[in-house]
Amino acid sequence: MFEPDFTATKSTGQMNDEMLSSLHTPTWRWYGLALFLAAVVAWGLSAFSYQVCTDMSCTGLDRPVMWGIYIINFVFWIGLSHSGTMVSAILRLSQANWRRPILRAAEAMTVFTVAVGGLFPIIHLGRNWVFFYLIPYPNQRGLWPNFRSPLLWDAMAITTYIIGSSLFLYLGMLPDLAVARDRSRDWRLKLYTVLAMGWRGTAREWVVYHQASTLMAALIIPVAVSVHSIVAWDFAVTVVPGWHSTIFPPYFVIGAIHSGVAAVITLMIIIRKAFHLEKYLTPLHFDNMGKLQLVIALLWSYAYFVDVQTTWYAHEPIEWEVFGFMANRYTIILLLMLLGNSILPIIVLCFKRLRRSIPVMLAVTLLINMGMFIERFLIIVPSLSHKNMPFVWGTYSPSWVELSVTAAAFAGFALMYTIFAKIFPMVAVSDVHEYESQKALLPLGRTRVPSLVGKE
Amino acid sequence: MEKITSPYKWGMVIDLDRCTGCAACVVACQAENNVAICAKKEIKEGRNMHWLRIERFWVGEYPDVRVRFLPVLCQHCHDAPCEPVCPVYASYHNPDGLNGQVYNRCVGTRYCGNNCPYAVRVFNFYDHEHAWPKPLDNQLSPDITVRSRGVMEKCTFCIQRIRRAKEEAKGEGRLIRDNEVQPACAQTCPSEALVFGNMADPSSRAARLARSPRRFRLLEHLGTHPSVYYLKGGGREHV
Amino acid sequence: MELLGIFKDVGSAASAVERLLGEGFVEAQITSLTSFPYHDGVLVRTNQRTWFRWFTLGSGIIGAGVGFLLAAGTAWLYPVQTGDKPIIALYPTGIVTYELTMLFFMIGTIVGMFLEMKLPNFAQRPNDALITEGCIGISLSIRTGGEQVACGPGVLPTECIGGIALLPASEQKERAEEIMNDAGAVRITTEAQP
Repeated sequence: MFEPDFTATKSTGQMNDEMLSSLHTPTWRWYGLALFLAAVVAWGLSAFSYQVCTDMSCTGLDRPVMWGIYIINFVFWIGLSHSGTMVSAILRLSQANWRRPILRAAEAMTVFTVAVGGLFPIIHLGRNWVFFYLIPYPNQRGLWPNFRSPLLWDAMAITTYIIGSSLFLYLGMLPDLAVARDRSRDWRLKLYTVLAMGWRGTAREWVVYHQASTLMAALIIPVAVSVHSIVAWDFAVTVVPGWHSTIFPPYFVIGAIHSGVAAVITLMIIIRKAFHLEKYLTPLHFDNMGKLQLVIALLWSYAYFVDVQTTWYAHEPIEWEVFGFMANRYTIILLLMLLGNSILPIIVLCFKRLRRSIPVMLAVTLLINMGMFIERFLIIVPSLSHKNMPFVWGTYSPSWVELSVTAAAFAGFALMYTIFAKIFPMVAVSDVHEYESQKALLPLGRTRVPSLVGKE
Repeated sequence: MEKITSPYKWGMVIDLDRCTGCAACVVACQAENNVAICAKKEIKEGRNMHWLRIERFWVGEYPDVRVRFLPVLCQHCHDAPCEPVCPVYASYHNPDGLNGQVYNRCVGTRYCGNNCPYAVRVFNFYDHEHAWPKPLDNQLSPDITVRSRGVMEKCTFCIQRIRRAKEEAKGEGRLIRDNEVQPACAQTCPSEALVFGNMADPSSRAARLARSPRRFRLLEHLGTHPSVYYLKGGGREHV
Repeated sequence: MELLGIFKDVGSAASAVERLLGEGFVEAQITSLTSFPYHDGVLVRTNQRTWFRWFTLGSGIIGAGVGFLLAAGTAWLYPVQTGDKPIIALYPTGIVTYELTMLFFMIGTIVGMFLEMKLPNFAQRPNDALITEGCIGISLSIRTGGEQVACGPGVLPTECIGGIALLPASEQKERAEEIMNDAGAVRITTEAQP
């Protein structure tokens, strides 16, 4: 009689070594990267200081286009933050086993993109130094901010999301911090000891932990949906033609998941290469993420089609003027956007061979995010350029200050991520071990089939 | 809480059949309200600071060409889109029916400027505080601030004049009489195209003109309920 | 007193637990220390019910109150007319209340979870670096005194205490160590509980 085969091909200790390889002492290459990113951030900071110390004329903004690259960045980064939440939370709740190596990267990405995105509402202010007027605190003049304004809903939502996603990331890392604690010395030992809170991995601790993780995952999904809906309402509640559309909240949420999933895939490819995690992030994972991306790409295309089709059919003069202006003046980037967001992903991701090919996935996901950045630009700028009064129609092109701050945002995110990867486990170690321990080859009929321990 | 009421509901009537497009109102507004003098570069960039603009449209083909003038200023909408979106209450509705702008509260999000369908709000992209070449700074009105950079501004129906008139009237124990307070633009207009008055008083000149069959308001389909009425002869000459 | 035995695989750990139970120790005294979770019952059976979700609920209700006070309360305290909108408006109040409810839900979950786990606990408790390398720890809390409850019908398996509780701690420890070594423990450490 065949015995079930439980022996793993690799010992736990070996797997730990591989998965935690990123925690080794940084090499000169890491320092080089970190320094380059820090330099770009410093450049962006100096550009921003120039703006704050002189005036807003150094941006490309004018009347009527009073929101430009800064708000485009804001929407883009908050959109990217939906990556971790959606990928991590949804896959946790649906118990998809291929999620395990991806979770940490996705959750960390959420926290850092929200942190970067949340800076832009302060960067774009005309009087940044009095940004605290927006904070509701009791003061001796009895003033309160205006909660009827979508910008205050933004403030509440982003605060909630950044705290929630940080807690979600920390929660996911808790057992891995204990693993790291047990393998480290000096300052790292102190750090992990404090963060691991004395976790030992008793059976009861695991029961409570599992229920808490599930609950957090279930809670963070509605928060993520509400955050990007609120960002969408910044536009949808106005009377600006082209913005006043009821499809904006679902459209923005779908767009956010689209760009977020693409960014997670890109990040996974980078991490896989940088930390030699080829055995943990296999073509199977990219295959499944590719399928998810395909579904979202189809949804996005549907939402965009609906948005334009209703505008075209009703042909309200000013609304169609906005779309006509966009198609005329920004034809090339409009086509690039449709190609990157819609046509290319839908065609390429239908094929399993292409989904499993790392270079193809890298190209497709980078193009998706390029397309999503363009999409934010095409939502914001054409509508503002051609509002209701033709005498004040105008144009907008970003200035060096705005572009420098944008570059600094990307570099800042990459820097935070790089530092994070050096200090914290990049792969959900205990999750992967749990999966490995539950797998077995069971004899069935003439052969052995893979099986998995599960709940009833 | 109780709604604060006021015996005044300021409004303006602009007779487009009288407007010659001379732009004296624009200059008067600039002088009265410490509106910045902008360099050519700033105007080309689309960053002019005019609170009141004369929109000029050419209609028809040669030789049947006509020109239409449309003075556009803050419409002081009763359901102003610019007010609910300001996160700090810098843009609000005062009981007199005016849309108020509180300069020292404005943080410069520019949401109000985006949401104004008439695009009458102007933002201080440039630092104009120090842009008054001597001796022009002697002309600055002490009744009103010079706005700092990063702050939104717009036509206030010369609220400083309204305030002064209110104080005088209160001292004498009466209400403001009709035509007692005139914003700078209405005061200056040589053809009396701009008429300012209390719409809550049906006998005031502005209220009577606002009942004319020639009346229309800008972008009425948006439901902003502006306080500014335009008069134009009916038929195909209607702007 | 807590006894921690390290075992190389599931089989030896499970047999150690079985024999400890046979000796008279109670399921509630035995727990496993693992770097990743095992299905309930593979090593030890634990109570699957938790109470921290009530904490979450309470937290969320407080959050709803805070949100409502922020949106509606501050508007009532500082009423400024904007557009034709009411001073206390339905949708903004709803949105802000919702966001703060969710925030407090999430904070409550984490705080409640730690409270139920009784963490943070930085006291020196038995732990072993081998556990992170994949070994399984079986921890036994030795208790002395207590009434002997015979195992029989009408008594839950977790309630019956054999005669083992009457023995002094040192003897219990000796027996437990013997069992663990027999089952194949790699290492046994003892820690006196405060």
